[in-house]
Amino acid sequence: MDVTGAPSDAEVVARVLGGDSEAFTLVVRRYEAGLLRFAARMLGSRDAAADAVAESFVRAYRHLASCREPARLRTWLYRIVANRCKSHLARRPIADVSLDEAPAVADAADTELNLERAEQLALVQRALVRLSPEKREAFLLKHVEGLSYEEMAAVTGERVPTLKMRVHRAREALLQVLEEYE
Amino acid sequence: MNAIDPRIHQALDGELAPAALSAELSRVVERLVTAAALLAAPLPLASLESRVMAAIRRPVPSPARRLLRWLATPRAITFRVRPVWSLAFAAVVALLTLFPLGHEGPDIGEHEGIAQFVGRFPGAQSVHVVGSFNDWRSGSIALEDVDQDGVWRATVVLPTGAYEYMFVVDGERWVPDHLAERLVADEFGRENSIVIVRPARR
Amino acid sequence: MKLWLGLALLAGPLAAQSAEARLEGRVPGAAIPAVDSLVQRAYAEGLPTEPLIQKALEGGAKQVTAPRIVAAVQVSLGQLRDARDLLVHGGDEPPVTPGEVTTVAWALRRGLPGPVVQRVLVALPRPPRASAMHAVADLVAHHFDPDSGADLIIAAIGQGVVPERLLDVSAAAAHELQRGHTHAEALALVRQELPNVPASPKPTRSAVARARRPAAPTPP
Repeated sequence: MDVTGAPSDAEVVARVLGGDSEAFTLVVRRYEAGLLRFAARMLGSRDAAADAVAESFVRAYRHLASCREPARLRTWLYRIVANRCKSHLARRPIADVSLDEAPAVADAADTELNLERAEQLALVQRALVRLSPEKREAFLLKHVEGLSYEEMAAVTGERVPTLKMRVHRAREALLQVLEEYE
Repeated sequence: MNAIDPRIHQALDGELAPAALSAELSRVVERLVTAAALLAAPLPLASLESRVMAAIRRPVPSPARRLLRWLATPRAITFRVRPVWSLAFAAVVALLTLFPLGHEGPDIGEHEGIAQFVGRFPGAQSVHVVGSFNDWRSGSIALEDVDQDGVWRATVVLPTGAYEYMFVVDGERWVPDHLAERLVADEFGRENSIVIVRPARR
Repeated sequence: MKLWLGLALLAGPLAAQSAEARLEGRVPGAAIPAVDSLVQRAYAEGLPTEPLIQKALEGGAKQVTAPRIVAAVQVSLGQLRDARDLLVHGGDEPPVTPGEVTTVAWALRRGLPGPVVQRVLVALPRPPRASAMHAVADLVAHHFDPDSGADLIIAAIGQGVVPERLLDVSAAAAHELQRGHTHAEALALVRQELPNVPASPKPTRSAVARARRPAAPTPP
């Protein structure tokens, strides 16, 4: 959705906290695509991602008053979704994110991608699920969601040097896995 | 894992101009950039707006009640919203406690508690929970699907303690509790779930 | 593997009678002599034997081959020895009780580093420690740093939270994560509230009414 000219995050938060709960639709429209993509890549499942993001939005709404920096609503939302993804993964055996299940995000429903791109995506997604959740999270936040290291620190609660190290390790592991498959 | 040339990281972190890289290093950078671009493609997923707003418009229980509900039925929340039939999941919801005497049901001893096992196994003919609480003997604790909605349950009185367990579906398929928060390697290549039964009389 | 029940009561008699009777018909015959030998060795070393028997029974139930069952029981015996060594280093007077060895072995299996286990042992010089170990392991399962998780539980012990309530402390920290706080914030929030943490709720009346005792195991 084109949100040009739309109220800022801080204004939307103020409206919702002021009693205009319907204004929260602006938050959902503004951020759901990125959050869904992030969760789907983290979890390797669109259904699980939709559940995680929907629950996260509801939680965010109910705890909006505890968002101390409404101007940084985006990173706060990513933090909630990241926590839910990690909880989901923690409850799920490693084998559950097997290579067989990994390409779930690149199936025939990806009509916007041609076959070759779908195959490439399936390959990358396979490589991605081989990373630990921490490395996967770091790579996705940095290179797919385009967050700065400082924003990533706000999302994960980790220090910037730690996150840099994770991104570096994720790149190395990803390259290695991609080479194995190619 | 092999470390890669630090200039690749510098280029990807915007600390080094891509033009400063050799052709070989540029190819590695390109490979990672392409991978990220593929992952960044929009997903054809339905909007969550109506679902989220419907949940928001429902009356909100008090914080204390929400906390109580969360603590009491954490996995039931996930359970309700997960539509994927193939993802067998289950939960150990209850943890025991003191109850006034005179209720129906078994008397619960001082060193006993209640564990509730819940799993979604559509189409299953039988589901049992097997673990260190019953000497890994299948058949002693059967789950039931009373309303035939594919959700199988068993509520069991157990001595207090920590136990490992798995579900056995149709007498042959061993399935872990996918939503158990506590998991441990079983030394046979899989993971057991853990339930901690707390003393009833706390 | 009951933590809070007297494993000490079970370990001796069972080993003395040999584990064979319990394993017969439940575990491949080829595994029984080796498992029995490992059980006897554990008994001789003053270690609990029930975890070894349970591991063998588990392997039999899962239809695992004899060599893998024996290997898994050997791994379990190694964990019990590691646990005993940690207890002795942590200050427990030998012979350490089988119940405490089992508790610490659980903690190691759940991924707690040895030094973290030792810190908890020092904070809780006397049993029961099972709740404390599981509380720290629960925090680690939620991706809290093991040392920070141990800090929280040790702080709770220091502020008088009774062992039986320590699992409520780890549950409260996990709850703060669900509310969108970072791990550091979640720890700080719970710590700030200590020794007050929400108690886990009572089960519903219908759950109690439904509760059944499992059928008694069929004698072998």
